[in-house]
Amino acid sequence: MQQGDGTEAQVTWEDQQNINRFGRLNNRLHELQDEIKLAKEANENLDDAGNELILSDEDVVRFQIGEVFAHMPRDDVETRLEQMKEDAAKKLERLEEEKESILAQMAELKKILYGKFKDAINLEED
Amino acid sequence: MAAAAASTPQGVAERRGIPAAAFVEDVEAYLRQAGLDVNSALAFLQERLQQYKIVEMKLLAQQRDLQAKIPDIEKCLDIVAALQAKKALGEALIADFELSEGIYSRAKIEDTDSVCLWLGANVMLEYSCDEANALLKKNLGNAKASLEVLVADLQFLRDQQTITQVTIARVFNWDVHQRRSKQAVKET
Repeated sequence: MQQGDGTEAQVTWEDQQNINRFGRLNNRLHELQDEIKLAKEANENLDDAGNELILSDEDVVRFQIGEVFAHMPRDDVETRLEQMKEDAAKKLERLEEEKESILAQMAELKKILYGKFKDAINLEED
Repeated sequence: MAAAAASTPQGVAERRGIPAAAFVEDVEAYLRQAGLDVNSALAFLQERLQQYKIVEMKLLAQQRDLQAKIPDIEKCLDIVAALQAKKALGEALIADFELSEGIYSRAKIEDTDSVCLWLGANVMLEYSCDEANALLKKNLGNAKASLEVLVADLQFLRDQQTITQVTIARVFNWDVHQRRSKQAVKET
């Protein structure tokens, strides 16, 4: 809250709850941005792996499970990779959707809070 | 005027050892009831904010630990599943593993019924594949549940920090307003 001239609106419990909700959404937004970055990287890695697999012509592929590289037949690896790519794509989609929802909720709260407090409150990213 | 003490209409008074920040309905009433002048009130609120920050650091560290633990457990489950799949096919599992930095060796794991699980504190126990699956799944469930509780704790904590910050700003503004009114009265 900035310095006021004494005629600014009083903060009610409802206002405080709105401010709290905005804070929570903002935190979640930052977390999501990091998670989305990781998910995008994972998707890219899986695509690269798929491409490498197509280029190589070995029958036995070393597939990483945990900390070891298990020898697996090429077809099995292809199947697993497809499944992993699908899961990763779905996860990224889910994260992007959550981000859109949060941005919308934050915009709504900004309208309400700026409406009441005008420039006595600052809700922008510093 | 509503009391300044933490009241139930505004949520819980504390959560798992973290005290809730009292919401101030009216700054003047709050100061009068607490018997504090502005500077003491601000000092008290600032100290509260610092304490919240310390607890937040601790919780964030715990959250990082849990978030690292969960993928580890999932990797273990993958390996056990791979072993069981190979056993079902009657084949041995051949795997390349890191012997030392940059040096890999090959292992052939034949017809295995059991795995050894590292339990921590320099203890490793042998389990059948089924038992290992059950234990790992249980640990995974516990870790995820703990993480959920932790995230809720952090949200609660951050809410209390926000309330305290807003209260600090309001007390400060009220003080400025008081001084200006007194000044205005003096000048008339």
